[in-house]
Amino acid sequence: MMLNLNKGSNLPSEKTYDLIIIGGGPAGLTAGIYAGRSRLKTLLIEELVVGGQASTTERLENYPGFPDGIGGYELGLKMEEQAKKFGVEVLFGKVEKTELEGKFKNIYVEEKIYKSKSVIIASGATPRRLNVKGSEKFHGKGISYCATCDGALFTDKKIIVVGGGNSAVEEGLFMLRYTKDIIFVQDLPFLTAEKILQERLFENKDLKIYYNSEIISINGEDKIESMSVKDKKTNKNFDIQTDGIFVYIGLVPKTDFLDKNLSINEYGYIKVDNNMKTNLEGVFAAGDVIEKNFRQVITAASDGSIAAKSVEKYLENFKEV
Amino acid sequence: MSLLSEDDKKYLKELFKGMKKDVNILFFITEDKKLCMMCDDVKEILGDLKTLSDKIKVKELSFENDKDEVKKYDVRMAPSVVLLSDKDLGVKYYGIPGGYEFSSLVEDINDIGNDFISLDESVMDDVKSIDKDVHIQVFVTHTCPYCPSAVRTAHKFAMVNDKIKSDMIDANTFYEYADTYGVSAVPRVVINNKDFFEGSLPEREFLKRVLNSLK
Repeated sequence: MMLNLNKGSNLPSEKTYDLIIIGGGPAGLTAGIYAGRSRLKTLLIEELVVGGQASTTERLENYPGFPDGIGGYELGLKMEEQAKKFGVEVLFGKVEKTELEGKFKNIYVEEKIYKSKSVIIASGATPRRLNVKGSEKFHGKGISYCATCDGALFTDKKIIVVGGGNSAVEEGLFMLRYTKDIIFVQDLPFLTAEKILQERLFENKDLKIYYNSEIISINGEDKIESMSVKDKKTNKNFDIQTDGIFVYIGLVPKTDFLDKNLSINEYGYIKVDNNMKTNLEGVFAAGDVIEKNFRQVITAASDGSIAAKSVEKYLENFKEV
Repeated sequence: MSLLSEDDKKYLKELFKGMKKDVNILFFITEDKKLCMMCDDVKEILGDLKTLSDKIKVKELSFENDKDEVKKYDVRMAPSVVLLSDKDLGVKYYGIPGGYEFSSLVEDINDIGNDFISLDESVMDDVKSIDKDVHIQVFVTHTCPYCPSAVRTAHKFAMVNDKIKSDMIDANTFYEYADTYGVSAVPRVVINNKDFFEGSLPEREFLKRVLNSLK
């Protein structure tokens, strides 16, 4: 039996902070470590679980310094411990609204207001939901976005993994411990996951992958019974029987609670310059929530450190009035 | 090798140091070997916890034989863990509190022992004012990092109001029971057997769901 012990959190004080970090994933926590070491009075606000999306990754094998890999949740807890060691306060709560335009920023958390001279937005992203005919009624009822959480509930059942990137293949490999009956449905003619992950997947000869496949609908009355798929090459439709569907088709940035004047791109990602600066003074952003090409734990951590250094510079010239 | 590392024990000993009130842990085991596969592990952990604070008392009971206690605490399945202060708080774990749920157990013990429940004041007032019976079931798996937040919120609500009972239920151990509630994603929170939601919610949002269910 495994025991995961979360070693507590401290409570924030109600003063003006030098820096408030929104989000406790790798970007926010790394920003916290750097800010704490720069002796900035820092509050980090996380909605649910530290570690961000990586907290549900069973094993991270590409984060440097851990040749045998490290659990995503464990890495998050270690980063949190490291940030707290340098004086960062951690608050668990949902940021409902922000006022980022003034000299002092207001962050609204469940009926309380926290004030700060600067802000780093590291709110991350959530999995993109499958949106096809019939999918809406099966969210949480057979369609899942977290194999680590829900995988055990599909022991010896038929499942479909949608997607072909790192997340899809990693989670598909994870699901093999519960069931051998796994089918991949990928819209491209190839997988986009790291080659080493593809190799591991291909070792499982029984596993079926449908390429060039567009999902048409999810079918069933009370439970999922099948998925209708179109082969884009032949234009023919066919059905796959299944009990559950695990979906990994990209991300949606979490920016809906932010000021409307913050500059975002057409997909909702925050625009930043090389120093993680947004269009609003004293407001920086880092990690999966910003416009960029690659979203990895290490690139998030890197963004976080740059954002914290930029905040430090910004505060050197900050005048109270 | 011990399940709890020396580091963990040190941390817990420090955490539990200031506890003022007794925390009574009842562990109901069952003769069903398959369900009780990890009961020995739980015995070991509870044994360890007992040595870390003299405020922690552990009692092992049989689901099949100790009928009086089963009835008194309304224990419906086993293995299960019931947490009491000097009274029944309506706080239960069906299935073992392992994996991520171990943290829920530790935090529950800490709340009871310190007689302090860390709920936002306005949430606390609203929870206390509930005057109808509420039964909250939180279905989890041991590998779900989002689940302890839902379990803890439900348990904290139960601790501050006698009308509220809340159970963690390991959907893996009690697979068939979970299936009757259509659990295929966790955490799944079921309120009074009729309303439900998936996922963890902030305490105020969670409370709103409970209040809506009473309307």
